[in-house]
Amino acid sequence: MRFCPFAQRTLLVLQAKGIRHEVVNINLKNKPEWFFKKNPLGLVPVLENSQGQLICESVITCEYLDEAYPGKKLLPEDPYEKACQKMTLELFSKVSSLMGRLIMLQQSKGDSSGIKEELQRELNKLEEVLTKKTTTFLGGSSVSMIDYLIWPWFERMEVLQFDEYMAQTPKLKLWMAAMREDPAVKALLLDGKNFKNFLKLYFQNSPEACDCGL
Amino acid sequence: MSADATRTLRKGSCPPGPVPEGLIRVYSMRFCPYSHRTRLVLKAKGIRHEVVNINLRSKPDWYYTKHPFGQIPVLENSQCQLVYESVITCEYLDDTYPGRKLFPYDTYERARQKMLLELFCKVPHLTKECLVALRCGRECTDLKASLRQEFSNLEEILSYQNTTFFGGDHVTMVDYLFWPWFERLDVYGIADCVDHTPKLQLWTAAMKRDPTVCALLIDKQIFLGFLNLYFQDSPNAFDFGLIC
Repeated sequence: MRFCPFAQRTLLVLQAKGIRHEVVNINLKNKPEWFFKKNPLGLVPVLENSQGQLICESVITCEYLDEAYPGKKLLPEDPYEKACQKMTLELFSKVSSLMGRLIMLQQSKGDSSGIKEELQRELNKLEEVLTKKTTTFLGGSSVSMIDYLIWPWFERMEVLQFDEYMAQTPKLKLWMAAMREDPAVKALLLDGKNFKNFLKLYFQNSPEACDCGL
Repeated sequence: MSADATRTLRKGSCPPGPVPEGLIRVYSMRFCPYSHRTRLVLKAKGIRHEVVNINLRSKPDWYYTKHPFGQIPVLENSQCQLVYESVITCEYLDDTYPGRKLFPYDTYERARQKMLLELFCKVPHLTKECLVALRCGRECTDLKASLRQEFSNLEEILSYQNTTFFGGDHVTMVDYLFWPWFERLDVYGIADCVDHTPKLQLWTAAMKRDPTVCALLIDKQIFLGFLNLYFQDSPNAFDFGLIC
């Protein structure tokens, strides 16, 4: 689905590795029955190959693509460096759910001060990683898997103008600017207006939401 | 005597020295299911290692330099590299050390094992909640029903695959990653949660015949002794059953 951050992870990896692929968008507010045969939970993203093999869960799809296809390896070969990327992803794990809740509260005009503090704390943890590593990207001096896995949420932060958080995290701000120069990121950039319209329609449970802007 | 039969290090203790060359250290606790995963992999692959047990109710200050929140398991090697999160430690060991590969070679089969792990993800929390409820004299019918549902999902996988183990006809990584919670069902008092899942019962029996699982099997009386002391908030719980 064009606005789903989890599916965007998979699309970023497909793009970054130059993998020939086709996209089938699913209306998440009106799921086709056949989609539950692809994933019993009815969630995107799902990969399907010509042998009928199905892979679910965004992180698992990304690792699968990196292993199965040649070209630039997005995960490091070194087992310790690979483990470090996974530990960093664990640090990020609260950010996606906090952002989801923040967006929901924004839409319903609820009080989001508590969540904002929590989100800032989690972002500070990622800032610490960049500070320790002294590199531009989270996995080293060039873009790698961990950067793509967390990018979709930072892209949405920018679109929704959550700028206040970046004041305490200058390295993350620089990282975001560097990510915006990445070809794969550029190729999949969200249209800000479409995304905001999507959010509005999505929270109204409109079946038109997922096709916003087409 | 098993490799991890040593007293826990607690607050006020001196930090252990650097890890000797040729060895890997795991910070652990004899009854913790998460560090049990790591110890299973170390054993299955025949990796030379040392175990440092941590007193989880009285953690040494130095332990927070190994893990920001003082959790176990943590691996430390002779280059002072630290790896934590039980699943990440198991993958790291399988990647780093030669010999028996616990994850399949096939890319798709590897992805399948990771998807199975996702299917299992509610089990640890539910088993712990059942244990706490029972120990505190609360009823846990709903919790057990939820756990039974999770087990039914796993039963379906075994039925569909028609294999003894979750990864096929031999024990692989995913089996070891599930095992610690199934070993604890009896001692937690919830063994009846697999009453309706015959394939899961067969899997449990087959796992108990696995040499690695056997070598690390925790004595039931010792485990019960630990649980009794743990729920009395005793800091000595973690060392229960040690001879010296």
